[in-house]
Amino acid sequence: MTEKRDGAGDERPESPDLQRRTIFTLGCVGLGAATLGFGGATVRYLVPNVLYEPSRRFPIGNASDFPAGSTTFLPERRLFVFNGPDGLFCISSICTHLGCNVRHAGAGFECPCHGSRYDENGRVISGPAPKALAWYAITLSPRDQLIVDLDHVVGPEFRLRA
Amino acid sequence: MKQTAPTSLHVAFAALGLAFLAIFSWVLFHEGVADWRTTQARFRRIEATVKNPHQLAAAASVGGLRQIWLPELDRVDRCGTCHLGIDDPSFAGAPQPFSSHPGTWLTTHPIDRFGCTPCHDGQGQATDYLNAAHQPQPFVTRPMRPLETIEANCGACHRAIDAPDAPRLDEGRALIVQSGCFSCHDIPGFDGLTFHGPALDSLGSKVRPEWLPGWLKNPKGYLERSKMGNFRLSNDEITVLQAFLLSQRAIPPLEGMTVDWKKADTANGRALFGELRCVSCHAVNGRGGTMGPELTRIGDKVRRDWLFSFLKDPHRVQPETAMLQYRLTDVQLRDLTAFLLEEYRSGDTGPEPPPVTYQDARAVMAGRGIFERRGCTSCHRLGAMKNTGRIGPSLAGIGDRNPDELAFGRGNVRRTADNYIFLKVLHPDALLQTSMMPTFDFAPIEAARIALALASIRKADLPVSYVRNRPMPPPFTPAGHFGELVTRYRCLSCHSVGGFGGTLSTVPLDRIGSQLKHDYISKYLLNPGAVRVSVEARMPFFHMLPDEATTIADYMTSVLLDDTLDRYDATFSEADVQRGQDLYTQLGCVGCHQLGTVGGYVGPVLSDVGDRLRPGWIAAWLANPERYKPGTLQPDYGLSAADARALTAYLSSLVDGGRPKSAEQGGRQ
Amino acid sequence: MKPPLAHRAAEWLSSAGRSVFRIGWPQTDKDRAAAMISSFFLHIHPARVSRHVLRPTYTFALGLISAILFGILSITGLALMLYYVPYPPEAYRSMKDLQFVVTFGMVLRNMHRWSAHAMVVIVFLHMCRVFWTGSYKPPREFNWVVGVLLFLLTLGLSFTGYLLPWDQLAFWAITVGTNIAAYAPVVGDQVKFLLLGGHMIGPMTLLRFYVLHCVILPAAMLMLISLHVWRVRKDGLSGALAQTGAVEEVAGVFPPSSKTYGLMSLSRRPRASVESRDPNDEVFAWPHLLYRELLVALAVLVVLHALSLIFMAPLEEIADPTRTPNPAKAPWYFLGLQELVHYSALIGGVIVPTLLVVALLALPYVDRGPAGAGRWFAPERRMSNTVFTLIAAVLVVLTVTGTLFRGPNWAWVWPWR
Repeated sequence: MTEKRDGAGDERPESPDLQRRTIFTLGCVGLGAATLGFGGATVRYLVPNVLYEPSRRFPIGNASDFPAGSTTFLPERRLFVFNGPDGLFCISSICTHLGCNVRHAGAGFECPCHGSRYDENGRVISGPAPKALAWYAITLSPRDQLIVDLDHVVGPEFRLRA
Repeated sequence: MKQTAPTSLHVAFAALGLAFLAIFSWVLFHEGVADWRTTQARFRRIEATVKNPHQLAAAASVGGLRQIWLPELDRVDRCGTCHLGIDDPSFAGAPQPFSSHPGTWLTTHPIDRFGCTPCHDGQGQATDYLNAAHQPQPFVTRPMRPLETIEANCGACHRAIDAPDAPRLDEGRALIVQSGCFSCHDIPGFDGLTFHGPALDSLGSKVRPEWLPGWLKNPKGYLERSKMGNFRLSNDEITVLQAFLLSQRAIPPLEGMTVDWKKADTANGRALFGELRCVSCHAVNGRGGTMGPELTRIGDKVRRDWLFSFLKDPHRVQPETAMLQYRLTDVQLRDLTAFLLEEYRSGDTGPEPPPVTYQDARAVMAGRGIFERRGCTSCHRLGAMKNTGRIGPSLAGIGDRNPDELAFGRGNVRRTADNYIFLKVLHPDALLQTSMMPTFDFAPIEAARIALALASIRKADLPVSYVRNRPMPPPFTPAGHFGELVTRYRCLSCHSVGGFGGTLSTVPLDRIGSQLKHDYISKYLLNPGAVRVSVEARMPFFHMLPDEATTIADYMTSVLLDDTLDRYDATFSEADVQRGQDLYTQLGCVGCHQLGTVGGYVGPVLSDVGDRLRPGWIAAWLANPERYKPGTLQPDYGLSAADARALTAYLSSLVDGGRPKSAEQGGRQ
Repeated sequence: MKPPLAHRAAEWLSSAGRSVFRIGWPQTDKDRAAAMISSFFLHIHPARVSRHVLRPTYTFALGLISAILFGILSITGLALMLYYVPYPPEAYRSMKDLQFVVTFGMVLRNMHRWSAHAMVVIVFLHMCRVFWTGSYKPPREFNWVVGVLLFLLTLGLSFTGYLLPWDQLAFWAITVGTNIAAYAPVVGDQVKFLLLGGHMIGPMTLLRFYVLHCVILPAAMLMLISLHVWRVRKDGLSGALAQTGAVEEVAGVFPPSSKTYGLMSLSRRPRASVESRDPNDEVFAWPHLLYRELLVALAVLVVLHALSLIFMAPLEEIADPTRTPNPAKAPWYFLGLQELVHYSALIGGVIVPTLLVVALLALPYVDRGPAGAGRWFAPERRMSNTVFTLIAAVLVVLTVTGTLFRGPNWAWVWPWR
């Protein structure tokens, strides 16, 4: 009779049959682990492995395209490229406030949208901008191309001596 | 329902739960051992052994898929996912797939603009070896091309006839141009080119009747280098075609004049043959130029009267010929004709055959039908007969034809588009039972080159920014007396102006007036001596009239000029000349150039170079010979401005047998 | 840590939990019944089911498997939609991306593909099971009709999904399939025009098939499945009455039923199934039914994963309207029809499919005798079972022939050569 009763409530915690409980737990562990993995896999699936967008690492030309003392604005890349006395560096033209293009005004920059102003190193002087303009690393490729990497943010002391 | 059921359910549950876990782990494993991941792991191990790997490669070692997205070309190339060192010279010689790209190809074709598959084909989206179609794969239309035929893809962009750095493609295209494939086929990239056999208006008065059937049967039997294909005609077809062709006698050869052939002096003819430099264009016994037909067996072929009248006025008898009109007397012409016919024949050809008189109207009509049907008019003009146009199928997009659609027949051949083109070019009737296309008897290597050039003709059109088209040279048609002389002497058969004209001569005429002195030009035209002993093709002796030579020199020195050369300050000091002479010795010019009686024979003789060349040209040439004549043997010494000037001063002073004259004279014309 | 705080935290947690799961883990029979009834999702099952329901050899869980497959297809389909672009060249490219660069993309696509094929098979088998057990007999006539519609929807979903990869296989299968549809009398061409959104398969067709595949047909499917299950829920599983043995096995386990089914007086059905059943023949759906369903679902998942890892979903060259493969074949489940079309377009394209669908829809209203319902191959139904089996067998043979034994120019080939 006890056997029969078990038929109705075998996974009750107070079930006396240890063996059955072990087996059931085993199944639960397998299923649980797989379910957890499944959740992880779903998130991984959602992360795109390739991007259909312009590369974040791109050539901007030869060093000779940026003569000493020059300031070049690359509108498609939203970048200012400077060739100062110490070397090349580039500053993003994206205002840190709401993403307008800043203008190079005098020594510094100013944003036409909400009046943020930055000094010549991109540090905020006034206005609503929360932080300084981004600086990106410039490197020299094996074929003497200047390469900007938008994923490589650097400080305002950065210079590439070309 | 049994009492033990719950236990078995638990067992099933445990088994399924664990199986699910196992199979899910398998999924993860499957993803983790993807080809590209293991390859990148391998790369990270060898990366440490490479000296100074560039940052580009360093970035790659972070891992992840790398792709080049070319929306303009509608391509996504992920080859860089495994070929991690491809754009970094420091990986030269690394094991595959990490080795850097050989040659300078990635410098001229930046990888972020051209990707990989436009040149190599294959499935760029794939991320493993098999699916990238390094070898042919099912359902991949264009697997990677072997290096053997990769130049076909150069041609997709480089539409110019001569693609740089693609010798095989170049060769294939040259063969297409030479063979005139575009006369019967519409071939994109060869538009505007024309290919002509001789006009046949007066074939009946031109050739000996017994010669024609053999020619029609197999043109190569008479002329090894014949451009006419073998149409595989039956004997019946040849008979009626012969009747039709021999009935064409539109232009009477002698026009009423008579020639006393008995007095012909073949010795004089032989002398003329040498003097006129006929072999510059015509080969005899296998040696000589290739522009005109070989003359080795001309005695078997042409009638005496016709040859005489052709030599007398080639442009009347055959208006489209590249042959120039010499200014010869009738006696000279007679001697030359007699010499040619007697000297160059395979045996005793017998007496001059009588004019063809028979007229079998039915045979003529039948012959005319064959003439039209086989597309003879595509290459040969014949009176008022309409050009039937391109009777062969269009070859537009042939490089993209799918093998499934091509009629390979039942033969056991490799079923690729490339192979199909190759076989068709090699043996037009190899695959289909009957083909209208004549056999050209290409060597297999030639057929392969032509197939390669044709495989570059693709269906899909590329964005304009990728296409390098062939610039069409503007035609050079000068007017007036000079124009008449250019036509008469067929200058443009050998020389080019602005890229228009022949290529036999290595001297384009674009700036000839700034290169050569007026008097030298006119003197040279009257008696073209050997400027360069070692060169075979030389200017013919035109027997030109003095005022004709003056006209040409006048025109050249006033029209065909190059400002940059003429602006040269040509007043030299004595010291310059002296220094130039020292330089001449130092640089070892004497090794190649003859001066007086000493010197080599590789370069032109410099004995009277001061009479010949203008100082501006000498200076420009010395400064950058490669610019004016790509591939020239003249070394670029990288002379300083002062040195170049000194050498120019010295060379300009050389007149009359290599004796320097005074500096003042040398500076003036 | 102070015990009262921990205690209060536990209290708070359990009350929050109860707000979601009203019953908690059921410990008593009452809870078990309540767990089923109070849950929106579990409510599709009754609190207690006949033991007969749990017998795998009666239903083979085919209906359940169909539903599970539909669930898997919905989930994998949603995931695939994140990377799929329903526009010709990009559609194919996104397929390649799924194959090559999306993590788990290939397994997911394989799973979607094989589930779809499996669903066609399982739904067909489910229909056969229902026929062979005579389960369409009153009061379940209409549910049979719904089932037939669900089968057609399954075919429609599979067919519309077939085009989406935009490869040669897809393009030409849909070309052949839609041309079979065009044989329909009078409206055939118009139906084809509407289906394709033009005279030929193009971007418009792809978009239409995409919307049909991802929105319209699944929505219709979901509605009909709900209706189908609701009917089963109301009418109970067929054959419960025919299974009257084995009561003694549960005697004493469950208390005698004391419930009065007052609401049942509202039912217009002459015999509400619940009333006519012996309560002692019933067990609680929680856990008996749910546990078995979980096992079936797990088994299906494991099998599908294994299939997806071993067999790759086909992907040929990009669709090329100028190049017809030889032979061009419709999706396999229409190859029986294509085989018939090969002999006669009218028979294969019009008469046979129309007759089949009409016969299936009308079946429960024609064959109304109650005899033999609820048992496999009841001797009383030998005649109808034989006819049905013959027709089904012919269809299967034709389909197999069309799929495996037909080569270029629809000539006979031996698949093992």
